[in-house]
Amino acid sequence: MSKVKTHKVIGARSTRLAIIFFIFILLLSMQFDPYNQYQLANISTLLIAVLSITLLTGASGQISLGQGAIMAVGGYSSALLVTKLGLSMWIAFVLAIFVSALFGLFLGLAAARLSGPYLAGTTLVMALAIPSVAIRFESLFGGDIGFTVDYGYPPNWLTNLIGEISIEEWSLYVALPFAALSLFAVLNLSNTRSGRTWRAVRDNEVAAALAGINIARTKVIAFVCASALAGLAGAIYGFRGLVGPSVYSTDLSLLLLTAAVIGGLRSIGGAIFGTFVIVFLPDVIERITKALALPETISNYLPALLIGFLLLLTVIFNPRGSAGALEHIRHARHSHKH
Amino acid sequence: MLIISNLVTEFASIKALNDISFQAKPGCITTVIGANGAGKSTLLRTISGLERPTSGSIKWFDEELTHKSVESIVRSGIAQVPEGHAVISQLSVAENIELGGLFRKRIARGDLAIATKEVYELFPILFERRREPAGSLSGGERQMLAISRALVSRPKLLLLDEPSLGLAPLISAQIISTVNELCKSTGLTVLLVEQNANTALAVADHGILLALGKVIANLPAKELIADSSLRAAYLGY
Amino acid sequence: MDSFLTAFFSGTSQGAIYALVSLGLVLVWRGAGVVNFAQMGQAMFTTYIASQLIQNDYSYWSAFVIALVSGAILGAIVDLGLMRPLTSRKNSQLLNSQSMRTTIPVIASLGILGVLKAVAGILWAGEERGFPSPIAANALTIGDTTLAITGFDLFVIGVVFVTLVLTTIFFTRTGMGLAMRASALNPEVTRLSGIRVGSVRTLSWAISGTASSLAGLLVTPKTNLSPNTLDLLLIVGFTAAVVGGLNSLAGSVLGGFIVGYVIAFVNVYSAPENVFLAILVFLLLALFIRPQGILGSKEVRRV
Repeated sequence: MSKVKTHKVIGARSTRLAIIFFIFILLLSMQFDPYNQYQLANISTLLIAVLSITLLTGASGQISLGQGAIMAVGGYSSALLVTKLGLSMWIAFVLAIFVSALFGLFLGLAAARLSGPYLAGTTLVMALAIPSVAIRFESLFGGDIGFTVDYGYPPNWLTNLIGEISIEEWSLYVALPFAALSLFAVLNLSNTRSGRTWRAVRDNEVAAALAGINIARTKVIAFVCASALAGLAGAIYGFRGLVGPSVYSTDLSLLLLTAAVIGGLRSIGGAIFGTFVIVFLPDVIERITKALALPETISNYLPALLIGFLLLLTVIFNPRGSAGALEHIRHARHSHKH
Repeated sequence: MLIISNLVTEFASIKALNDISFQAKPGCITTVIGANGAGKSTLLRTISGLERPTSGSIKWFDEELTHKSVESIVRSGIAQVPEGHAVISQLSVAENIELGGLFRKRIARGDLAIATKEVYELFPILFERRREPAGSLSGGERQMLAISRALVSRPKLLLLDEPSLGLAPLISAQIISTVNELCKSTGLTVLLVEQNANTALAVADHGILLALGKVIANLPAKELIADSSLRAAYLGY
Repeated sequence: MDSFLTAFFSGTSQGAIYALVSLGLVLVWRGAGVVNFAQMGQAMFTTYIASQLIQNDYSYWSAFVIALVSGAILGAIVDLGLMRPLTSRKNSQLLNSQSMRTTIPVIASLGILGVLKAVAGILWAGEERGFPSPIAANALTIGDTTLAITGFDLFVIGVVFVTLVLTTIFFTRTGMGLAMRASALNPEVTRLSGIRVGSVRTLSWAISGTASSLAGLLVTPKTNLSPNTLDLLLIVGFTAAVVGGLNSLAGSVLGGFIVGYVIAFVNVYSAPENVFLAILVFLLLALFIRPQGILGSKEVRRV
């Protein structure tokens, strides 16, 4: 009885948080110019991918440096479904989730045998192999170039309802609902029994096995869930304009990991914060370098430098990320009162 | 002289050692006995620096050891033979022995050769098998090797953690009597930890009974052997 | 037959370089329990240092030596400045988790990689530049027959061969080598033997830094130099290390040559764009068939 009750409470909480996120981004977009609305769409899309890392690395302890490769699976499968089979984009997105989950199943079966650095290296090799696969099977995947796809036009009922919609707004309206749904799913998942099982495996495999948890199965399930999310993110990310090897680069994989780490690998709020940082930081830096009239060589590499430093500072001073820092401050205040 | 006073070692606020004080005299074997979980290994690991004490002090004559690193404790003449015949099984027998004296290589090369020769004389079987990997040795031979690795550093204090664990009684008696002879001939101080009290106390001068991290009895070994009620209460035999 | 020889010789000289990279990875993995994803970033950086020195009219050989020394220094800095404080902190809640203990150093090494690339980009403008070789890269000839090997290939093979011999002597014949092997196998017994395991660990980072720096100097005459050029080398070296056995020094060298031949033969008999696919397939096969590697032992991987 009590179990059912907690589930209901948690369900209500995650629904609330997902709706708050949805409305917050929407309100924010109304204050923004088209460029920043587009950046918000990027945030919504990449958040889904960052959440997949929060799930995989933060909750189940498996590290992937090739999340971009799984995004590519989602991107290519949805692009193929739309261009070759003429399916609607929305159906293609949903099917892409299933295709990437299936891919995640195979990957997870391999990954369950690998610990830490082995998994990290293997997923990195996988991410680097994408261009080779696209070129090797050029007739299917379109080689170096890939597929040109887009979000299409907003439906009439929506324009009738709220009036003229710009391309930037439309891309936000496509990505945001998926982001809110993913947020809802991840919030729920981490509070249920399977979330707790994952954490047990993450923290001590031997103890978890002694408690009767099937380690390999738990790891594979985590991989499947994370891959489903990453695949969805990859599909939406690709439909901004291009599904091709250059879109799903290793730099993207590492950038996503960075977002998850600086926000706090174990925190969903941290994932949102981290995604904001990686999307908006380059813009902020560009503004600063322009204002200071820094030479081009510096301004080109400054974002990468700062993001690298941010990553290092996070692991050195606060491996739990910004979310951990907040908790720390709250904790300190709390104990101060008493 | 090893002087331990009011030593406390905690693991996550559980006191594994709770206010331990005793002394071990040079040239003698002091045996610490106690049931499983009494804190015997923790005691040795705290002396050798592998565990950090919460409070109290450990002194070797006038030298304060309490907050020194493992490496400098070893270098000041205190060698531990850890539990479970700790040798490096992938390295050869000769390499294991060489390892024990490596830190003295530059300062005392000549004496190192002598010390190596001495341990081979002490345990001739090791000399015969010196080129084989330590992993291929029998349990007793591994214990001999672990002790030899400690001895080539020319320790003044030897900490032995359950040397008879998993060995046939005859072999463990042989190893302990070798250690005993060494004490008598070289003035080596030995702190011997054992669960199996009989052989260990028979060669010892002094006996300490440990239970739940506290010193229950601190007596001449002969008296501890004779006190059957203490043994029955704390060791169950 | 001609294409076979071409593949064989290029496999040997490339394999020699992969062997260095893989040796560097294995040294740090055994010594410190970290797979250093920044390794080739460090090598890229020291190769830029050499390139800058040569531009400033230093001789090739003095630049060569300075690059190797800075490789060692950079490796030691990474350990002392980052990895040691990271892994020795006992109270952090995150490090109590098994998986996080391996994840955090991986992330840290990626951070270093990012910083090194960005700094190199800022300092040296980031566009691709050539890197000289001390020996002309023309195909050797005997009489009028042209051989499938260049003088530079022979130089690479020779340098790596000498390095491997010296490394072997260091590990099997010297006390420091014994201390390094012992601390990798059993840090506690080694500490109880009075050896400063922390310093030994830093030394393995330094040697690894030198080995990868050498790999950078030997590979860039063919690939050119940019902040990203050596990324692929890391992946290939990682594959080589896994194939040979992440905890075996000899295995890492063997793995380097095996992967070198695989890549060379795929390049010659198939197409260059298939190389990556081949590496991925080869890595997955190795992981499934013999996850501990050809010369690796099983127990260590079970951490």
